[in-house]
Amino acid sequence: MKLIRVNMHKKTVTAESVPEDYKELGGRGLTSTLINREVPPKCDPLGPENKLIFAPGFLSGTPLPNTSRISVGSKSPLTGTIKESNAGGTASRALARLGITAIVVEGQSKQGDLNLLRIDEKGNASLVSAQEYRGMRTYRCTEKIRKTYGEKNSVLCIGPAGEYMLTAASIQSSDVDGHPCRAAARGGLGAVMGSKGLKALIVDQRGKSADTIADPEAFREAVKKVVKIVKDDHMNSEVMPKLGTAGLVAPVNTMGAFPCYNAKKGELDGWEKISGEVMADLIRKRGGKTTHTGCSQCIIHCSNVFVDKGGKYITSSLEYETIWAMGGMTAIADLDTIARLDNLCDDIGVDTMSTGVAIAVAMDAGYRAFGDGKAAIKLVEEIGSCTEIGTILGNGPAATGRYFNNTHVPVIKGQSIAGYDPRAMLGHGVTFSTSPMGADHTAGNVVGEYLEQKLDPLKVEGQVETSRYLQIAMAAFDTMGQCFMANVALLSPEGEEAFRNVISAKTGIRLGPDDFPHDMGIRVLKAEREFNRKAGFTKKDDRLPKFFYEEPLPPHNKVFVISDEEIDSTFDF
Amino acid sequence: MKLKVKLYGTLSCRFSDYQHLQGMEVEIPDGATVQDLLTLLELSESQNAVAIMEGRVLKKPDKIKHGITVNIFQAISGG
Ligand code: SF4
Repeated sequence: MKLIRVNMHKKTVTAESVPEDYKELGGRGLTSTLINREVPPKCDPLGPENKLIFAPGFLSGTPLPNTSRISVGSKSPLTGTIKESNAGGTASRALARLGITAIVVEGQSKQGDLNLLRIDEKGNASLVSAQEYRGMRTYRCTEKIRKTYGEKNSVLCIGPAGEYMLTAASIQSSDVDGHPCRAAARGGLGAVMGSKGLKALIVDQRGKSADTIADPEAFREAVKKVVKIVKDDHMNSEVMPKLGTAGLVAPVNTMGAFPCYNAKKGELDGWEKISGEVMADLIRKRGGKTTHTGCSQCIIHCSNVFVDKGGKYITSSLEYETIWAMGGMTAIADLDTIARLDNLCDDIGVDTMSTGVAIAVAMDAGYRAFGDGKAAIKLVEEIGSCTEIGTILGNGPAATGRYFNNTHVPVIKGQSIAGYDPRAMLGHGVTFSTSPMGADHTAGNVVGEYLEQKLDPLKVEGQVETSRYLQIAMAAFDTMGQCFMANVALLSPEGEEAFRNVISAKTGIRLGPDDFPHDMGIRVLKAEREFNRKAGFTKKDDRLPKFFYEEPLPPHNKVFVISDEEIDSTFDF
Repeated sequence: MKLKVKLYGTLSCRFSDYQHLQGMEVEIPDGATVQDLLTLLELSESQNAVAIMEGRVLKKPDKIKHGITVNIFQAISGG
């Protein structure tokens, strides 16, 4: 396996074998360790000292299903912290099967220079001028690339938002159908890619030099066990294929924890209209797909294809967090508008979550009315054209709050919360406060624990411990390239053991019960927290905005009640 | 007592005339518990059904209040 370094200033590409101490890492573990070692913590995230790293998971490219997440890591221009954002699609498997552990993009192109980084079927990397792609939106860009270089290529690219270096810009990843609809959206990594002068990474999918497996027979057996656990999981076998993550709209609203009207209420008026159940009915009636494979080697199929009244493709995988941000926060209870907004964000290359929340902050300031779908579409279009208001919104909710002088901005370390209000689901407040990534939707998502009745969302007891366990586990699984849905099914002693056996069979080194996920997760989190510390972050940054402590959220009319001391005990290592 | 039940996720598949936005009416004895209701609806353990009433997740032995809507979901995780 090799590590490719690309210097955008010198236009050089070098390959080196993977250093010994990175060998058992992949995905988030690798990107975070590398950034912590190589990126000056106080550097300008959009300057030449920052690095942008693409790393398939440690198990990506192996026959283990649901291992197609690619981690993208950097210092974030949105949060100023270390950042890993991972995306599904096809690129992770493609890179791993070319024997590539990571691509490290360094330096910065000369102003006005724009490039494609192409990895051919032999795993050789080269930079190609991308002048003709300048300003192109991601759907057109991906289509043109695949026409030019062949359909058997995965594409990770930025849209206009990334080129303009807007700090909510995403990196879009092509799915199995070749649509750039999966995203490493959080943390503004699209802006880092834009700052480097890199429009797209193109990866040939025909690689055959995947990493060796030490004990193929044991690996096959271990994979069988993991697959069985994942398939036996009711959520993965029943709910995800039929509703996807949109199945959360109903329970979270019913529990009064759906942040809406810019996090001023916990239950959206008319939420039934944007529920997963209604969405699935609508998709079925129109001839779209409620069950769809978004990523290589998926056995769960949480994705969907949303079509318009005429059956025409609008977007793929309309997901919970997007429905929440674009529909809940803005009070736009209309799936067609939300789907259109999702597609626009993917096309322009901005995070749907940050953008939805930014629009909600603007609406809350009186700039537009809550529920005005047409206005929201126009505002996202403005991001694509980089108008004044487009630039503000494209820089995320905190920038929008500053512009409108609105302090009611639900961000932690500059990044918006996800679709669970910390006042009605306390554990999410712990995760949002303490995740080294800023507020995050996957880093330690607690909602499942509430629905499984393991924890009372409104009681303090157990929230810190649960968030800690989940954050550690996710940091470990994100290192492996596993998708979240499969991870959740494996969070039991039996599941973790089955998964350890897969890793052990690959490396030939037997892992003990503490090694994974616990020790691996801690190792990753330590590196991330160390970077943040050196960048100047302190405990004081691990706090929710004031209004969560002061303004009760209807319908429960509760505030966030976990003390600072308890929050600070989350990571007492 | 009569109560309104709304089914979410894939739980309504078994009830052919179930209307999503309306829910359905169910008759249960006074003092019945969540478990009684799940049994009546033949929702099995493996379906991970969870009842939410007045914004709170209920435990199986919890008694169901009069004149209330019970929402039944399947436990899922987010991300
Ligand atoms: S379950 Fe969803 S996110 Fe996970 S691999 Fe399948 S399509 Fe991708």
